[in-house]
Amino acid sequence: MTQLLLFNVTNGLIIGAFYVLMALGLSLILNLSNVINFAHGGFLVIGGYIAYSVTPYVGFWGALLVAPPLTALIGFVVERILIRPLYGRDPLYGLLLTFGLAFMIEDGTRFIWGAQGKPVSVPAVLAHPLSAQFFFLTGYRLFMVAAALAVVALLFALLRYTKLGVRIRAGTLDLETVSALGVNVQALRSLNFAAGVFLAGLSGVLAAGQLGLEPTMGTGLLMPSFVAIIVGGVGSLTGTLIGGLLIGVASGLTAVFLPAASEAVIYVLMALILLLRPRGLFGEEGMMT
Amino acid sequence: MALLGETGRLDRRTMLKGAAALGGVALASPAIISARGETPVKIGMVDPLTGAYAANAQNEVTGAKLAVSQLNAKGGILGRPIELLVEDSANDVGTGVQKARKLTERDEVSFLIGDVNSAVAQAIAQVSNEKKILHIVSGGHTDTITGKDCKWNVYRVCNTTTMEANSICSTLFEKYGKKWYFITPDYAYGHTLQAAAEADLKKLGGTTSGAELTPLGTTDFSAFLIKARAANPDVILVLVQGSDMVNCLKQITQFGLNTQVHVAGLQQELEALEGMPPEARIGVWMFEWYWKQPGVSGVDQFVADIRKVNNGKVPTARHWFGYTSVQTIVGVANQQKTLDSLKLAKALGNFELPPEVRLQPNKCYYREGDHQLMTSAFIGEAQAEGKDDPEDLFRVDKVIAGDKDAPPVDETGCKLQWPA
Repeated sequence: MTQLLLFNVTNGLIIGAFYVLMALGLSLILNLSNVINFAHGGFLVIGGYIAYSVTPYVGFWGALLVAPPLTALIGFVVERILIRPLYGRDPLYGLLLTFGLAFMIEDGTRFIWGAQGKPVSVPAVLAHPLSAQFFFLTGYRLFMVAAALAVVALLFALLRYTKLGVRIRAGTLDLETVSALGVNVQALRSLNFAAGVFLAGLSGVLAAGQLGLEPTMGTGLLMPSFVAIIVGGVGSLTGTLIGGLLIGVASGLTAVFLPAASEAVIYVLMALILLLRPRGLFGEEGMMT
Repeated sequence: MALLGETGRLDRRTMLKGAAALGGVALASPAIISARGETPVKIGMVDPLTGAYAANAQNEVTGAKLAVSQLNAKGGILGRPIELLVEDSANDVGTGVQKARKLTERDEVSFLIGDVNSAVAQAIAQVSNEKKILHIVSGGHTDTITGKDCKWNVYRVCNTTTMEANSICSTLFEKYGKKWYFITPDYAYGHTLQAAAEADLKKLGGTTSGAELTPLGTTDFSAFLIKARAANPDVILVLVQGSDMVNCLKQITQFGLNTQVHVAGLQQELEALEGMPPEARIGVWMFEWYWKQPGVSGVDQFVADIRKVNNGKVPTARHWFGYTSVQTIVGVANQQKTLDSLKLAKALGNFELPPEVRLQPNKCYYREGDHQLMTSAFIGEAQAEGKDDPEDLFRVDKVIAGDKDAPPVDETGCKLQWPA
């Protein structure tokens, strides 16, 4: 039993790492642009399908390099054309827009690539478990965790040590002052949105290796990511990180005792957090207006 | 450490409102196929065109549309054109019922077809029963539809879960051993399929090592697989369907579990096999219909006709379900020369499908006592790669007639109540 629990905690951390990758992208966009990006799952799917389409020419590793920037480019264009006119309005406008966009992306991918799922194989070198006993530790899953960790470290370093990062952080605190200081806020928002979508695209390529690639795959992954943000505390990237890992482990542990509740448990966890600490684990006092 | 600070006007409540909004459903307008200018006879079809079963549902609709266009070319229904109105149930019971009501009340369809999802099929059968119109369940398998919840106006094309289990369990037992572990989808279909398989397993002298009820739409099966492996069964039986099946088998093969225990299942579909990489196409399964049946009359023509409307791809069992559903309604109406649902429902008892519709070697007929189509089971093994055709992903070893694997009517729990 102890072994089973230990397995599931480790396994939960692996799943959580994936949620983190997705949730961080959401969090970035939410913090600076005040947009609850419901189309994030859609961008994930676009990333996966772009990877599927370019793999025959550039292989898996090539796709991993090409698909996220291309998805980010689409995100950049979407921000310019659709999101930008909504800045300064009630956040519900952005929410409704991205909600509709999510449906359009799902149907769009279905139109282009078909409703039928597409087969995606992972590179042979990663396709095996490390040992028969720890079969759930496959090369690919560890690679996913490593990729997630690397990106998180990079993102934190970027926000902390680069001029762009400092501006993004300053912008989330007081966009008007940042603008008054001569920073091009429009460009800052576009870049930030594209960076968030880049993370969605990367999540999509990684997910396609493990899940069936089909137009609805983003929906199932989007809600846990939102929950990760709410549990961790809106506005805190560290909170998102911890929130993602926490719900992964909670889901994994519940699967041992009550499998049918393994999805519901993350919402129970969210409800508990909201009752006991309404601003989330790492959310800051006074942030919620 | 909060790297990012205040978010301005956006608050947690808005986030929660947004999360609640995700539960909302978009209503789409129906896709309409119309034939000639005379007053058409409308057939409504409710299927989950979006969601986990979208590929299956779209194939059912393609099959139904092919039947409509072929039948319209031959004079339609009682000399009138057939019009097919398709609605998306979005894999959701509430939406399915709403769409069934819309079709019956606003569009005034004469007949109803659907749904892939058992729970939705069962719910819309209530609507069709209330409206007293003939309803063909194309692709929802749970036993009770033609079992204890059977209705005078409801007939079913696809197999019952008990028929599926009976067709393959002895083969699985002989090939893989007697300790079984189930990965089961947590809704009507999964529950009855597992129960039927366990009943067969008990008769054969085997035991259930364990079972995991997984929520529909599960993306990560690793936690369930860890438990399954720890129980040390002879075989893990994958009962989940659609994209869940793809995810589960993909993860099983990546974990190398298939090298440690046997992996197979009961029902398998071409849609799922095509959606997974070659290494995940493993195990013995039952197909409800297969496109490669050398020497069986009409099959090659049907394959050729579907290829024309399906981007060159072969038909799956789902195409045949949709096709047969329309053919059944029109066939019996033209035979009886009426559109009266009560008369047609009576006439469908023991109605036999003609060779150009049944497209299988065995006799294929609706059973009078429970309104279930006695259709064959195709038992065989998944193939990593097609030999002559990339879509030939299943090797059929034997075909079992429907009335050989269906339980007797008195064991189904069906007691038909006819209106006075």
